Amino acid sequence: MAPRSQEPILELVNIHKAFGERQILRGVSFQVYAGEMLGLIGPSGCGKSTILKIICGLLEPDQGEVIKRSDEIGLVFQGSALLNSLSVRDNLAIALERRKLSRKEEDKIISEKLSMVGLAGFEDYSPTKLSGGQQKRTSFARAIVNDPKIILYDEPTTGLDPVMSTIIEDYMIELEHQLQAASIVVTHQFSTWTRTADRVLLMHAGKIVWEGSPEEGVSSEDPYMKQFAHATREGPMLAGAVED
Amino acid sequence: MTSGTAKAKNLPNPYRLVENQFAVGVKLLGQVLILWFQTVSYMVRGQINLKETVRQAYMIGVLSFVVVGITALFTGFAMSLQISRELVQFGADTAIGGVVSLALVREIGPITAGVIVAGRVGSSVAAELTTMMITEQIDALKVMRVDPVKFLVVPRYTAALVMIPTLSVYAMFIGLVAGIVIAQGAANVPPDTFMDSVKQTILDRDFSVHFLKSIINATLIIMFSCAIGLNTRGGAEDVGIATTRTIVWTMISIFILNFVVTSVTYAPR
Repeated sequence: MAPRSQEPILELVNIHKAFGERQILRGVSFQVYAGEMLGLIGPSGCGKSTILKIICGLLEPDQGEVIKRSDEIGLVFQGSALLNSLSVRDNLAIALERRKLSRKEEDKIISEKLSMVGLAGFEDYSPTKLSGGQQKRTSFARAIVNDPKIILYDEPTTGLDPVMSTIIEDYMIELEHQLQAASIVVTHQFSTWTRTADRVLLMHAGKIVWEGSPEEGVSSEDPYMKQFAHATREGPMLAGAVED
Repeated sequence: MTSGTAKAKNLPNPYRLVENQFAVGVKLLGQVLILWFQTVSYMVRGQINLKETVRQAYMIGVLSFVVVGITALFTGFAMSLQISRELVQFGADTAIGGVVSLALVREIGPITAGVIVAGRVGSSVAAELTTMMITEQIDALKVMRVDPVKFLVVPRYTAALVMIPTLSVYAMFIGLVAGIVIAQGAANVPPDTFMDSVKQTILDRDFSVHFLKSIINATLIIMFSCAIGLNTRGGAEDVGIATTRTIVWTMISIFILNFVVTSVTYAPR
């Protein structure tokens, strides 16, 4: 686990969120430190992605507080969310627009970030001409183009084949070391949370029900964690499943 | 009897249906107004992405030229045939040019361009923005602190304000050419006589009203399509629903406002 700084870069305090009658988050609290990759895991619909949207300001919590010690946040979307009408370069340049840089300065930063994700020379490509893995890496480059102190990954390996998933996970680990940002990865892919996360929070029905290291998670006897670890590694447990 | 009662219970309450539709309409009109104010405030401050505006001008204007031209040509043919036939009967064939041009400049030009562009461009903008919402591209812009209104709506509106009046004038010109062809072919009215009649009938005010109507049409097409696109969530089915809503609302509002402008500017005093 990465060494913890004095105070967390990001802190969530008692977050509640409902959509209409449906309560999604029921008092979620946690902290993330610089240089730490936090794995937010749990079954679909348990509120993981909602937490990311609250952190980056796309949603407002009904109750609770998000304390950020940096406003520079990068978000890698599940579906990459690249603008298809723009080139790879321009997709990254949009994020730089507010810094009012010269074209030369922009090109330098873009080229550097694309090199970090193994896409040097892809500046003029349309996102539609890239493979799923390349689109995901472009999305990584866009998320880190302003050197964010907080990086959020929403299901970064979902829909990718195992080889590409491993490559993406390697890039996440590499970026964590290089940028020393506080990162949160939302996933239910076994290899992603076990390989990339320093610490794991398991969510169930809008609450955090387990916390520990990935190693502890894999061997945990906690009924929720045991079921989740088993289900993500080998498919759903047919016997001894935890009642909702 | 029981199944009949059950069916009756499943039917929507007509009053509730009207109430819901009214609420949806008022909400949409509010979204359109807010979006228009936001867009204009960016434009007034000169915050317009020229590169994207030129691209949109090509998409909205240049790609509509053929379809608007064909529509205006055949509308002009049909209208001129009807007018020529009636005026020849009354021995007023020299007035064909004036009557045809009045209809074209005051009504047919802006309406033809407005309706065709609403169908071609409005639906495409609504589908594009709805897809961007669904695939989280709009959320990506917000996370990068880029206002989707500035990035997406301002270039489209600026391009439409230039291209839709241009298309209206073009539709009017093509309609006049159709009128000249029909007047000569069906009523033996030479082009010079046709154009003399046009010059005597058309006033400067007609061109101002023509311009005003096409500016209103551009505003309706872009604002309804963008407001609907930026406020739709869901899946693939919602792209189709958003497109249909855009066409329905834009067409209805184009015809209503066209009548309002006509009644304000041409009503007998």
